[in-house]
Amino acid sequence: MTSPLVTFDGVVKRFGDFTAVQRLDLTIDAGEFVAIMGPSGCGKTTTLRMLAGLDQPSEGTIHIDGQLMNNVGPHKRDTPLVWQSLALFPFLNARENVEFGLKMRNQGAKERRDKAMDWLERLGVAEFSERNVETLSGGQRQRVALARSLVTEPRLLLLDEPLSALDAHLVIRMQSVLTRLQRELGITFVYVTHSQSEAFAMADRVVIMSNGEIAQVGLPRDIYREPANQFVAEFVGRNNIIIGNITGNENGNLAIQAPDGLFTVTDYERVKNVNDEATFVIAADLVTVSRTPAESENTVSCTLISEEFIGSVVTLFLETKQGTEFKVQLQERELITLDHTAGGAFYLSWKTADAHLLPG
Amino acid sequence: MPQPSTRNTFNGFALTWRMPIIVWQVLFFVGPLLFMVAMSFFLVKNYRMVEAFEFKNWEKMLTRGYFWDSYALTFILATLSTIVASVLAFPASFALAFKVSPVVRRWALFLLIIPFFTSYLVRIFSWYVILAESGVVNSILAQIGLGPYTMLNTMFGTLVGYMTLTLPLVVVLQTFALANIDRNLVQAAHNLGCSPIRAIYTVIMPLAKTGLIVAALFCFILSFGDFVSPYYLGGSKPPTLPILIIDTTKSGQQWPRAAVVAVVMMLTLITIAFASLALAYRKRASR
Repeated sequence: MTSPLVTFDGVVKRFGDFTAVQRLDLTIDAGEFVAIMGPSGCGKTTTLRMLAGLDQPSEGTIHIDGQLMNNVGPHKRDTPLVWQSLALFPFLNARENVEFGLKMRNQGAKERRDKAMDWLERLGVAEFSERNVETLSGGQRQRVALARSLVTEPRLLLLDEPLSALDAHLVIRMQSVLTRLQRELGITFVYVTHSQSEAFAMADRVVIMSNGEIAQVGLPRDIYREPANQFVAEFVGRNNIIIGNITGNENGNLAIQAPDGLFTVTDYERVKNVNDEATFVIAADLVTVSRTPAESENTVSCTLISEEFIGSVVTLFLETKQGTEFKVQLQERELITLDHTAGGAFYLSWKTADAHLLPG
Repeated sequence: MPQPSTRNTFNGFALTWRMPIIVWQVLFFVGPLLFMVAMSFFLVKNYRMVEAFEFKNWEKMLTRGYFWDSYALTFILATLSTIVASVLAFPASFALAFKVSPVVRRWALFLLIIPFFTSYLVRIFSWYVILAESGVVNSILAQIGLGPYTMLNTMFGTLVGYMTLTLPLVVVLQTFALANIDRNLVQAAHNLGCSPIRAIYTVIMPLAKTGLIVAALFCFILSFGDFVSPYYLGGSKPPTLPILIIDTTKSGQQWPRAAVVAVVMMLTLITIAFASLALAYRKRASR
């Protein structure tokens, strides 16, 4: 049995009256790529800074590799951080920036230089080694910053929104650089981001945080398809959230009366009873839209409000008579068959099996 | 439509409003400066200055040992003052920039400006009382059986005076330089294994380099040109260059020779200023 590399146990962090992180319990295994995701101010960066020792927890304990890390200064840890601002030293050239961590470990000049050049080579920026970092492009600086963090061969690498300042096409390229590095080196990455696409594309496990608490931990797919609560359902993906009252229960198949109709949802966990309030989620890409009333268990009729075109995928925003908003995602080529500009009613339907009941 | 070029067109409005400062500078700075340079070539006959273009004054001053003794003394004192002020100021500036709250920093900077409310001369005379043979410091030291120490009319006295003149300014300039450092860079250094003490000279000082050098430069300029401290607290023996200027004008109306000293001082300061600003703003060569 392998013991976890990182353990947060009841960690609380307060800044004066403000509680940034409240009761955080989380374990991270060696070799895992964990993404911590959430809106601004959810406590994700504070969590990362506590791992680096830049902030100390107000309560609770943090263990790294079995060692208690509370009150261990940042310079005594081997937890390099890739900063959102990159934080490259402007008074050093690219190679000297990479050498910095080795210099602090009092390694010899020759050894430092060789290791730094190795890493710059590995990240494809060796040709810029003697350049002033301010003259490099965003993508090049990013690679220098990564090399600087990895040159000491840490077991744990912390990344704080490192790709947020890059152009979209560079983000995709750097994502593959990062995942490849992580697989090759076998080290643990803790990656903080507000971007769902970055988190889902790279991470083995995703931690969703909200108001200083963990809202859900799980595999990207599970979080996407089976959100644990309304916050996650709203934050992740394009979900339609429907709230109603349970009017019937047949072997876990709940009949839910909502303002827009009667729907069926399966309660696999058997946690709900008749007359309870229930919230369920139907993902926007699992809704079928047609111009004729559909023969299905779950249907609503809507009018089209607006559409959002982002390439091959189109999101339609529709509204029922009761004023409930529905989102539907479909392929751009499917849209043409709908004659969607003509006005009139749209009929939405979905399979009962695709609807996800929130356990809360 | 192409924008009309503002570069080569005559802008009467801008020129009108710039005129007062231009006139002022030409009348009271450039004019006197040129006159002083010209005066260094004049001659004095029967205690009266007569226009001429002779190198006699330059020859007379630059070949005399006492001139170069004064020059060396002034240069050493100013250098010493710059080192002492920079070293003394740094811990205070560091604390104000990194260790205290913004409210405390604001109050401290305000208090550092207060000494400038009183005349420098008045502050120097109060040091006279403090440092004298029977002054405040020596009478306190006498209580514990020490002293009396001679502090007036020594290099120490001059340095105390220079500190009075420059230390608050150096602290203010250094604090601004340090407070403007990107904190992320300091934390990044800690994150890469740099201890807080080591970070001071590996990261903080290189980042604040420009401001620290400018503060030192101000200190050097003020000390090099100061007359009051070396005269009243340093005893003026041997004289520094500013004292030499006064002495020369008093002895036989030798204004041209005084002008020689002044021009040499100006040239020295211009050289020092250019050299240190070049150092302060030097960027790493990118190969």
